[in-house]
Amino acid sequence: MPAPYAPPPRALRVSGVHKSYGARRVLRGVSLELGRGTLAGIVGENGAGKTTLLRILCGQTAADSGAVEHRGRLGYCPQETVLNDFLTVEQHLRYFQVAYGLDGMRRAEELMEELHFSGYRHSRVAVLSGGTRQKLNLTLALMHDPQVLLLDEPYQGFDWETYLRFWSVAARLRDRGCCILVVSHLAWDTERLDALYRLHDGVAASWQPGRGGG
Amino acid sequence: MDNPGRRFATAAAFALLEHTRNRFALVLVVFYIPFWLTMEHWFVASAPTGFLLRATGRHLTVDGNRLTMVSGAINAVTLIVGFMMFMTTFKSLAFDRRLVLAGYPRVCLLVAKVGAMLLAAALISAYATAVICWYWDPVRPWLLMAGVFTAGVGYGGIGILLGAFLRNELAGLFVIIMTSLLDTMLQNPISNPGATKGGVQALPEYGPTQVSVAAGFSHDTPYGHLLLGPAWFAAMWLLGTAAFRLRTRDHRPAAGRRPLSAAARP
Repeated sequence: MPAPYAPPPRALRVSGVHKSYGARRVLRGVSLELGRGTLAGIVGENGAGKTTLLRILCGQTAADSGAVEHRGRLGYCPQETVLNDFLTVEQHLRYFQVAYGLDGMRRAEELMEELHFSGYRHSRVAVLSGGTRQKLNLTLALMHDPQVLLLDEPYQGFDWETYLRFWSVAARLRDRGCCILVVSHLAWDTERLDALYRLHDGVAASWQPGRGGG
Repeated sequence: MDNPGRRFATAAAFALLEHTRNRFALVLVVFYIPFWLTMEHWFVASAPTGFLLRATGRHLTVDGNRLTMVSGAINAVTLIVGFMMFMTTFKSLAFDRRLVLAGYPRVCLLVAKVGAMLLAAALISAYATAVICWYWDPVRPWLLMAGVFTAGVGYGGIGILLGAFLRNELAGLFVIIMTSLLDTMLQNPISNPGATKGGVQALPEYGPTQVSVAAGFSHDTPYGHLLLGPAWFAAMWLLGTAAFRLRTRDHRPAAGRRPLSAAARP
């Protein structure tokens, strides 16, 4: 007799999130639920509200109404690289090590190796290329081993090799039980995702590319 | 490791490092201060000038050239410290917000920035006072340095406030330059013969100018006026901090913000 199906424990629940900027209603009741060990994507056109939704999920922006619940440590990688041009890569890692309350930087060092930018450890961020800045941006979101990870267009500026390495890092995190939500304006590599949503008219709906909207 | 001392030390070290890597500000400190004061020394006449020292109610008759150098030191230090604090606040606001969302205590970041500013302002004031002492001997150089320091601290607060509110780099720099120039001009009886009129007390450089002139030319110590620069700083810093709190607010429910050390590791 087959074992009864047990859905993975819930890691992120979003219910009825609304957000307006003046008269423009960006989110009109976004609801979704993701379990641990899920790699999910949200796609949508420019201006659909993807970044607004992620900012609400990470606590940076207040929703007008609705609820967001997540279990465990949260990691957030913003779309634009939020770094301090006066500091080096190493100093960024040390700053966030203290912010996250970590004893060491083992995970950060692993990520630097995986994303191939260990050689820039002592370089000032101001002189780094866009792709290397984005690698550091991503590493800062991952170095505390988050249980829920929110990524806003995380592979912008990556070359093809780094892009592939990003997906292998994401898959390994998923296999370790991390719930990952990736936002993108393009539905690339959807076969790598366990779930895909499309944000359209302020609402997120489960979506399969090639089968129309909604 | 959840150690408040470590968090403060890290934030303070990086805040200082930011100032030392602000090359434009460093160039201004090293070259602009001596250049400005030397120009004033060369070009301003040494005619006797009346100055109302309000702390004692006495009218001093001082050397116009030296009085202008005191004003110039205050002006230069306020411009540089105001500019430094504006740039560091303006440029690191998004980064600081990210640190706060990652768990960095907001108060550590704020106190570290103020500590770094106080140290930078003290060093710059000492340097400007040393340049003045190269040309003539103020009656009490330490008090002169303290007066210039309080001016720098007041404008540091203005820089923080502008950095927290303005969205445009040029606008911030323009406001700091114009405010400091106007303020200096109105306090100095050479550029403003009406400097004895009521009303100049409301300006940020009033207290520091009174202290610095008293230190340069008399044995009076206007203790109360020493507090006016820091009072300006406190008022500006409180407003800037309120803006910082608003902009770095965590909108997640409290349960989602538990310290990481308390959360279960995978």
